[in-house]
Amino acid sequence: MPIIIAQNIHRTFGKEPLLTHVLRGVDITVEPGEFVAIMGKSGAGKSTFMYQLSVLDTPSSGHLIVDGTDVMSLSERERTTFRLNTLGYVFQDYALVPDLSARENVMMPLLMRGDYWQTATEKADAAIDSVGLEGKYQNLPAELSGGEQQRVAIARAIASAPKIIFADEPTANLDSISSKQVIDLLSDLNHTTGQTIVMVTHEREYALGANRILYMEDGVIVQEENLRPVHS
Amino acid sequence: MRSLRIGLLLGLRQIQRASIWTTSLIIFVMMLTFLNLIAVSGILVGLIEGAEKAVRESALGDIVITELDGEDHILETESFIREIEAYPEIDTYSVRFSGSATLEANYKERRNLQNERDIAAVRVSGIDPHQEDTMTGLSDLVIEGEYLNPDEEGFILIGIYYIEEYAQQFGDVFESVAGVKPGDTVRLTLGDVSKEFVVKGLVQSKVDEVNLSTFIPEREFRRLFNRLDRNADQIVIRTVNPEDNAKIAASMEASGLTQFAKILTFEENLPKFLIDIKNTFNVLGTFIGSIGIVVASITIFIIIFINALSRRRHIGILKGIGIERQVIEIAYVAQAAFYALTGSFLGALLTYGFLVPYFDQNPIQFPFSDGILSADPEGTFYKFVILFVITLIAGFVPAWMIAKQNTLNAILGRK
Repeated sequence: MPIIIAQNIHRTFGKEPLLTHVLRGVDITVEPGEFVAIMGKSGAGKSTFMYQLSVLDTPSSGHLIVDGTDVMSLSERERTTFRLNTLGYVFQDYALVPDLSARENVMMPLLMRGDYWQTATEKADAAIDSVGLEGKYQNLPAELSGGEQQRVAIARAIASAPKIIFADEPTANLDSISSKQVIDLLSDLNHTTGQTIVMVTHEREYALGANRILYMEDGVIVQEENLRPVHS
Repeated sequence: MRSLRIGLLLGLRQIQRASIWTTSLIIFVMMLTFLNLIAVSGILVGLIEGAEKAVRESALGDIVITELDGEDHILETESFIREIEAYPEIDTYSVRFSGSATLEANYKERRNLQNERDIAAVRVSGIDPHQEDTMTGLSDLVIEGEYLNPDEEGFILIGIYYIEEYAQQFGDVFESVAGVKPGDTVRLTLGDVSKEFVVKGLVQSKVDEVNLSTFIPEREFRRLFNRLDRNADQIVIRTVNPEDNAKIAASMEASGLTQFAKILTFEENLPKFLIDIKNTFNVLGTFIGSIGIVVASITIFIIIFINALSRRRHIGILKGIGIERQVIEIAYVAQAAFYALTGSFLGALLTYGFLVPYFDQNPIQFPFSDGILSADPEGTFYKFVILFVITLIAGFVPAWMIAKQNTLNAILGRK
């Protein structure tokens, strides 16, 4: 059964006569363990589409089932809990809390899920180790490079083993070496743990690690490129 | 509980990473607010308490004994005194006789009998000079001349409100005689009886009862006023421990002393208007101090609002990754609580560690009182609670306003 089923997703902003259609009836299904890349020019609606899929925004109309849950019927509070338990996020500009150390940033969702401090610490350290930042547990975000911060963000996204990870242009602010490391991390994650990943990117080079690339234009998917089958 | 734990962690880290100068400034503002709340009402109430203290020390002591209703004097005064001397809880006492007479001065220089006599109606207190001095420290209140010598006769102490040079600041409120100085001769007249006295000294006190009195030795008083029964008008008592006043008064009553006189503690003897003024000043002080609370709460509101607004995106991200809104609100409320607690603690430290002892040692000089800073711990605690709760609300409201915003809008920085 698909982990994401989106049917006829519309997203409009504003009111008539200034109504703007950003998404115009998008359909997609994502299988468990699939790595999907969404590409398109600026203004194509790819980030907006990802926000709908990742339950950060609510479609104006359509049907959206994520991990078997009709997320459009959830209250704000239920959506927050759903995101905590099911989804992981990697944002374009790392989005770490500047006052918290790398470890504490990663621990946040774990603590919120009810892990004890010691357990959360161990899981956070393991996640930080897995992204190659051993020993940088106590560093504040400001003491890390952009690439390192993004890796901490990935560690935060994977620490609680969410079913789906959403990555919104995770390489946009990184140099080519750091970008490569981040993409490799996501690909490895997909290969080794079978986590479903939905990633928005501008760079085709970075999208090539995915199973499938969706091309968007003017609020609809105009092309679909299957690169390789999903791992069983 | 989970939300509280994470909220406290976030709040703590925000305080730790904030600029030390900003944090110090906020704490300083909170400390001033707390001091304002305590000090304004404290000084107003202290003004009255200072007056009370002066009356207690210079006039009435801890227990006041007066004649029974319908009687002119304390009955069986000598037996009464023998009884109270047996109380180990009583430190000292003074027996007073009082009456009214006419004080006349400058009569020797009055050549023309058509001219007005320089006279004033005065209250005369007959005292044992040594006993009275031990009880009230009357000798310390002598501002010109000397205190009465227990072995001498024919000398008088005059309260300054009976001396024109001192009384004229009050206009014609008090009857007074002009130009009287120590060494001058004055005359006390009661009906047909007159007696000359040499002015030994002038006394000045914060207590009007002293300023509006003349003092002569009790032997001369009894002769002048023909009080041969030795029954006094007032006995004032200083106890070893003023907290035991009520207990001692009750014990005296149990011994049957109330059949000879009325026995009241200092507190019972306080006029109701004084208690009313004290309560009014307390309310007034709290009202004035509450303006400070409003200012502080607005300060906290602005600080937390700017802080939360500048972190709006991070708040959005936290919500995005599944952190409940409640956690974020707790984080900011925790910060406000930290500012209120630290500021109040420092304010209390300053109040009880410095200001209260300082004003006790160096009272503010008011005409009728040595103003002290009155800050009873219970009242201070209630004011702290008020400040704390208002600060928490001032911290919560902006955090709530920012945290309730749409998650995605906050993440993207959209309005």
